[in-house]
Amino acid sequence: MDNNMINKTMKKSFGKSLLYTLPMFLVTFVLISGGKPDFSNLPAALAMMVTFLFMNVLYFMMHYTGKTDKFRAILFIIFALSLSFTLINNMIEMRHSMSFSQADVLECKIPFCHLVIPMMIIPAAFTKSIIFPGSIIGGFADISSMVVLWLVATLVLGRGFCAWGCFYGGWDDGFSRFRKKSAIKKISESWRWMPFAVLFMVALTAAMTLGPTYCDWICPFKAVTEFEQISSIESVAKAVVFISLFLSLVVVLPVLTKKRTQCSFLCPMGAVNSLSNKITPFVVKIDKKVCSECFKCVQVCPLFALSKEDVKNGKASVFCSKCGKCVDVCSKNAIHFGIKGVPAGTMKNFSRNLFLFVSFLFISVFSAGSIINAVQSIFKLIF
Amino acid sequence: MTDSFILGLSSGSACVATCGIVMFPYLMAGSAGVRRITTDLLLFFMTRLIIYFLLATLSWNFGQALFMNPVVRSIVPGVLYIVFAVMLIWYSIDRNRKKECPARLVAAIDNRRLVPLFLGVVNSLGFCPALFIILTKGATESTLLQSYETFFAFFIGSAFWFLPLPLAGKIKKKKVLETIGILATGLAGIIFIIKGITSLIGGLING
Repeated sequence: MDNNMINKTMKKSFGKSLLYTLPMFLVTFVLISGGKPDFSNLPAALAMMVTFLFMNVLYFMMHYTGKTDKFRAILFIIFALSLSFTLINNMIEMRHSMSFSQADVLECKIPFCHLVIPMMIIPAAFTKSIIFPGSIIGGFADISSMVVLWLVATLVLGRGFCAWGCFYGGWDDGFSRFRKKSAIKKISESWRWMPFAVLFMVALTAAMTLGPTYCDWICPFKAVTEFEQISSIESVAKAVVFISLFLSLVVVLPVLTKKRTQCSFLCPMGAVNSLSNKITPFVVKIDKKVCSECFKCVQVCPLFALSKEDVKNGKASVFCSKCGKCVDVCSKNAIHFGIKGVPAGTMKNFSRNLFLFVSFLFISVFSAGSIINAVQSIFKLIF
Repeated sequence: MTDSFILGLSSGSACVATCGIVMFPYLMAGSAGVRRITTDLLLFFMTRLIIYFLLATLSWNFGQALFMNPVVRSIVPGVLYIVFAVMLIWYSIDRNRKKECPARLVAAIDNRRLVPLFLGVVNSLGFCPALFIILTKGATESTLLQSYETFFAFFIGSAFWFLPLPLAGKIKKKKVLETIGILATGLAGIIFIIKGITSLIGGLING
């Protein structure tokens, strides 16, 4: 009966869902294909069409079923896997190895990722130089385009970037879905401030050493992207840190806790995005009049963004990534996507439709290149 | 100097969280304005700095006397770094930690003018894992000047947290800042564990 309540509120008819999908269909077609699909290269055109249709089916399903998280997660996880695949593929083509040498560093050939941004700010302000050995404009994953993309996304989505844009988040999101029940349930809420401590230390050490310390010493995703060539005891130590952090925070703990532990306890970008959550128009609201305080939303939140107190106060904390898991699990439909300034419990459908359009458009366009590349490679393998 | 500054900056928050509650009312009690608060804070900082320089002198001379052999000079501090860094991490994650500060003894002081000086002494001699790490570092520096620099960097880092004390009443989310600071202390501990392991491996290879 409870599920019927959700369906009545959020679920749309087949026709209405198609109608809601049409604008996404047109916009993604233009943005992914550039408006003029090139059919001269058949595998590339086929990969583009498959990706494009797949994305729009997911968007249609979000409207048709009234569920958000399940379909978001499918795209999000595929994005993470395909990006790692594309990145590794590119590096093997360019350098014949996943590791980079000192020559690559000196020639600024290291692909940039958004996790470096918090470390760049202080050194850039004082020395007018960028502490990352990547290409500023042009080339694969250049600094300027990544900074602009992240800035736009974080201003619009806030920490929503962590659930709708981050190409690493899909890894621990995926592993957190492996088990039906969590093996570790009691985790102190204090730990959710850890990314701020990491951000503080990383920004400080980067400013004092003028080097990207997080990438040099901590980033767990080095294990699935690129890493420093093993040439000294220091590089061995770094590789051990990368692999152990990846295994513990991205694989083992998410499986045991059903939480995104890397995003919750380590990522300094998560801390920055949490701060930007304060200025974004989209929020997750709780209608206190309808809420039965069952606290299922607290249990399922993958980022510790909801505590019992938050529920009683009627709003998610700054850690919320707007993944929609709590919205989907709420049997009373009390928790919902909202817009700042609009009272909780009102304009639920409008807010959800608007948020879904913006966030899904972002992840579709952002992920399309990597997914098309991965699909194309699969086609090459099969045929 | 960088790591000493970082250690001071990260552990200073925990220091304020523990001792600030005791120190703040005494430093600020009866003060009529900014001038009095500034004088009291300056006296407090000056006393701390003097004590740190004394500790720098002592630890360096101690190091010179004890760590004559270059292998011992790498292995012993390496082990000490690891032990104190583990203590520091434990200190940051231990939820049952008792917030006790020797500054409580200030109640025994009659002369109010002596309070900032007394607080400066007990605060700098409140032996916590972070100070043990700095003492180890001071003992292993090559020159006395470098040992002073180490303690000075630690002093500057930790002093940052005491500067907003006069505004403590107006700072919102103190608890959150305290939590972040304490977690950062744990991370600083990890840096010193790596430093300790490096020193230990260096000593073992040379030995």
